[in-house]
Parts: sequence; C-alpha cells; structure tokens
Amino acid sequence: MIEVQNLSKSYGDFTAVDDVSFACRPGRVTGFLGPNGAGKSTAMRMIAGLTRPSKGTATIDGVEYTAIPNPATQVGVLLDASAQHGGRTGREVLTIGARMMGLPASRVDEMLALVGLTDKEAKRRVRNYSLGMRQRLGIAHALLGDPKVLILDEPANGLDPAGIHWMRRLLREYANRGGTVMLSSHLLHEIQIIADDLIVIGNGRIVASGTKEELLRVAGTRVRARDMAALESALTAAGLTFEVAGDAVTSTASPEEVGQAAADAGVALVELRESDSAGLEEMFLQLTSSNQRDVITTEGVPA
Amino acid sequence: MSTATTDPTIDLSRPGVPFGREVRVEIRKMIDTRGGVWLFAITALFILLAMGLTLLVLGLNEDATITASGFGEIMALPVSILLPVFAILIVTSEWSQRTHLTTFTLQPHRGRVILAKFVAVTTLAIGTIVAAAVFGALGNALYGVITPHDPVWNLPVADLAWIVAQQLLFFWMAFALAMLLLNTPAAIAVFYVASMILPFMVYPILMAMFQWARDLLPWLNMDYAVMMVRTEATFLGDPIEVGVVDYLRLAFTVTLWIVLPGLLGALRIRRTEVK
Ligand SMILES: Nc1ncnc2c1ncn2[C@@H]1O[C@H](COP(=O)(O)OP(=O)(O)O)[C@@H](O)[C@H]1O
Ligand SMILES: [Mg+2]
Repeated sequence: MIEVQNLSKSYGDFTAVDDVSFACRPGRVTGFLGPNGAGKSTAMRMIAGLTRPSKGTATIDGVEYTAIPNPATQVGVLLDASAQHGGRTGREVLTIGARMMGLPASRVDEMLALVGLTDKEAKRRVRNYSLGMRQRLGIAHALLGDPKVLILDEPANGLDPAGIHWMRRLLREYANRGGTVMLSSHLLHEIQIIADDLIVIGNGRIVASGTKEELLRVAGTRVRARDMAALESALTAAGLTFEVAGDAVTSTASPEEVGQAAADAGVALVELRESDSAGLEEMFLQLTSSNQRDVITTEGVPA
Repeated sequence: MSTATTDPTIDLSRPGVPFGREVRVEIRKMIDTRGGVWLFAITALFILLAMGLTLLVLGLNEDATITASGFGEIMALPVSILLPVFAILIVTSEWSQRTHLTTFTLQPHRGRVILAKFVAVTTLAIGTIVAAAVFGALGNALYGVITPHDPVWNLPVADLAWIVAQQLLFFWMAFALAMLLLNTPAAIAVFYVASMILPFMVYPILMAMFQWARDLLPWLNMDYAVMMVRTEATFLGDPIEVGVVDYLRLAFTVTLWIVLPGLLGALRIRRTEVK
C-alpha cells in the first residue's frame, strides 16, 4: 500500500503540492487525476524518492522508497516515458534494467511480448519511437522486476483508444493478482476507463477522493422539455432542486422523481436521463478552468 | 480508505544491488549507444593512424630510431584525445537524455551511482592504456621488421606508471568537470580548452614571452605540474631538482581540477531534484 501523509513541496513561495494525504490500496487501480500543473508528477517523484518533500512523508508499506533494497524489483516506477536515451534500442533499455536488477535476459523478451513490442521494433533506437511505443517500453521497464506495486505517471498519454483498453486490461489483471497500482492522468475519460479508485488533485490540494462509483454517483439527472419554463415551475412545485445548464436542466434528484414531477404537471419531456459523471466532470472542468490552462480536458489534450 | 491491511509487499531482507553489477552496467551504458560506438571506432582509427604514420616516418628515415617507451607515448596520444568524452558523457548524458530518472529509481543512493560511474571511468582509462601499450608493442615489433634497426624493448615500469597516472588524471578531470557542470557541451568545452587548447596553443607562447607565465601557469595546469615532477625539468627543458614545491604544485593542480569540482559536483548531484 502506498501511503502519503501531509505531503508538501514548495518551490520558493509557490506550493506545488500542498498538505496532501491519501492511500493506494492493494488489489485496486488508483487513478490520480488533475489538470496540468496540479502537482501529480511532483507528488509521484516524492513517492519514488527523487524529490525531497518540504513536509510530510510518502511510504510504501511503511517504508520509504529509498530504503527498499533493489527497489525496482519491488516497486515499478514509470515517471516519464520520454526520458530515455534516444541512441539506445528499446531492447537495450530493458537489458540495462534487467542487468541492474539482476534478472535473466529472458525476462526482457517476456516483457517485450507482454507490452506488444515486436522484435523488429525492439531493435530500433528509442529516438524513432512514437510516444505510444515509449509508453509501452516504459511500462515494460516498470514491470521487469515483477514488482507488487506500480507507480505510473501519465502512462496512457500518447496511447490510442485500443492502447488505453489494452492498458486497462493489463492493470486490471495486475491488480486482481493483488498488485497496487497508482497511475496519474489529466484526462477524466482516460482514468474513468482504467481506475477503481480516484484521487482528484487541483492546485496542489486533494479536492475529492473515493471509489469511482462514489464519485460518479453524485451525478443526478439531466432533463429537457420543449417548454423549459413549464418544466422549471413543475420541478419547483415538486420541491426538487435543479440548475439550468445550457439548454437542459440538471437536478440532483433521480430520473424517476424528475419524470414524475414533469408528468404531474403535464409537461412533455424531450430528454430524461441519468447525467453520467456530470458531477465529477463539472468539478474537473471547474478545476481546470480556474487553473486557466486547457479549457477542455476530457478529450485528448497532450500533457 | 482503511489502513487495516498491511500486506508484506515490501521485502526488506532482499539483497541490494551488488556494487560490481552497478559498475558493469555503467560500463555497458558508456558503449551501448550509437554515439559510444562511433567514439570507439574513431579512436581505433586514430590508433591505427598513429601507428601507421610513426612506422612510415621511421621506415622512410634511416636515421630515425624509436624505443618501446617512445612508442608507448605516441600510442597514448590517440586514446587520450577522444576517450575522455566518455568520462563526460557517462555523467552528462544522464541529464541531457533524462535517463537519471531511471538510474536513480534503480539505485536511489546517488553516492553509489557516482562511485560506480567513477570506477567505470577508471576502468576505461586503464583499459585504454593497456590497449595503447599492446599497439605500441606491436608497432615496436614491426619497426624491428621493416627497418634495419633492432627494436629496443625498454619501457621502464616508472614510465608506464606515469603514462597510466596521466591518463587517469585526464579522465578524472573530465569526470569531475562533468559532475560539476551537468551539461555536455559545457563540460566538453571546459575540459578541452583547459587540458588541450590552452596548454598546447596559448600557454607555450605566454611562457616563452613572460616570466610570470613561467611562474604561474604550471600551478594552473595539471599536465605541466605532472611533467615537471616526471621529467625533472621545466617546460623549457631546464633541469630542476624535484622538491616539495613541485609535489605541492602537483597536489594543487589535482585539487583544482579533480578534487574540488568532483566534490562540488557530487554534492550537486546528491542535492539536485531529478525531473
Ligand atoms: N522546480 C520548480 N520550480 C518551480 N515550480 C515548479 C518546479 N517544479 C514544478 N513546479 C510547478 O509545480 C506545479 C506542479 O507541477 P507537476 O507536479 O509537474 O504537475 P502535473 O504533473 O500535475 O502536471 C506546476 O505548476 C509546476 O510549474
Ligand atoms: Mg505531470
């Protein structure tokens, strides 16, 4: 289990990570979600012992990363897939890792096969790899030593939709075998596909955390009628809270309650459905726009 | 989230990474890139060129003679020109290619990483001198075959020790500057300007012209300081009696170019945030 307690990191008077506490449990894939610059990478570097925290602790099973003997065989880390020597072949990158960890050369072939890098691709220099291939290589490297814990920073970045589903299956099976996975992303839809638990970070602070179901349940109902004014007075009459969101109305009440209220007032509906992930999505959008970086982050924006 | 389950996921009794393994990996990392292969290939070419030219001159010129010691000196030249770049790249490429992220997650104790790289650089320096000696011996034997002279096999241990020592000092200086600067072009520029361009192209002129240059420059240049102790002569060839001052001068230049930048660099590497 990864445990982070009151972790902070300041650069001068700027606080990149601000008193953050959370845990990533074994058997679960924990998504670490936040817009660009939220402090995800900084927090993960502190967990991996590469950045010294200003305050607080980050431990894995109660142990700091730097105190773990031959750590890469116990905790797999991928912090930046593009941070590889362009002049080395993919196979050589893994071979160096395997040598260092004291693993047999056959392990390199196993990992290449696992992440779907062909023999020909593995002989190419990393300079000529696409970002998606680098991510696969980085994941292979993180998995080399057969660790029980995985820490992956934006591993889905640069993967195509098929690649994201491949990663979901890989990490799902890994967690099912009892592994602990922490992965970060700045894309809600990406993390929604892959993660079980979510930790949402914005401006260095945790703004929400829990299981994916919990966080998505906040959702509520989205409803539209031809006569929107009539719909609004019907909902008010029924005592339901609601908000006008563009050409529709969203309510925290269930679709059943909203439908009944409309029917009671004789309002014909055009649309009535559970607003999937609206709660989280809205919160995330707000986080993002208050950060004044990307306006839309639920679609493929490069990091 | 509950903290009830404490799975024994992390095994603290597992052995750490043995130091010898780290050194072997660092040596491998010096030569497993395209750049590394080229550097070695060009050096091999230089060696053959130096040997060929020397033999050509000796073959064409009946009066010219050479000894094994002389051959050793000549062969040490090509291996000391380009190869210090390895001692620089083994440090700076981790930063320019950002592989330090991986290196320091595989071995979080950065002091150990520095030590492994140092041993790797030292191994390379000695290995290349051995290679140079082998080629020197080969050249000397050929010299006996293609010229009427008999080869002279006189490489005194002291001479060989000095050649090795100088090669080591060269490599360590490159390594120390690389740690201090953590930047490939800067480290290469400072190293070559300080160790080759100035002492071969600028200092001789200054020393021929000015007394202060003859007094001061040996204190700033490791090669001069070594040569004065080794040959028991000044830069201009005047014999000297080697005394405490000369050893002090040598120690001073070693401190200036190796110990000081090395210590500051190691401190910098240990402190710096890797990202
Ligand atoms: N060395 C530094 N000096 C100043 N600010 C930094 C430094 N490193 C990171 N930051 C800032 O910290 C914030 C968090 O960065 P990061 O952890 O990389 O975010 P994320 O990975 O979530 O995109 C950013 O605003 C970034 O600009
Ligand atoms: Mg990041």
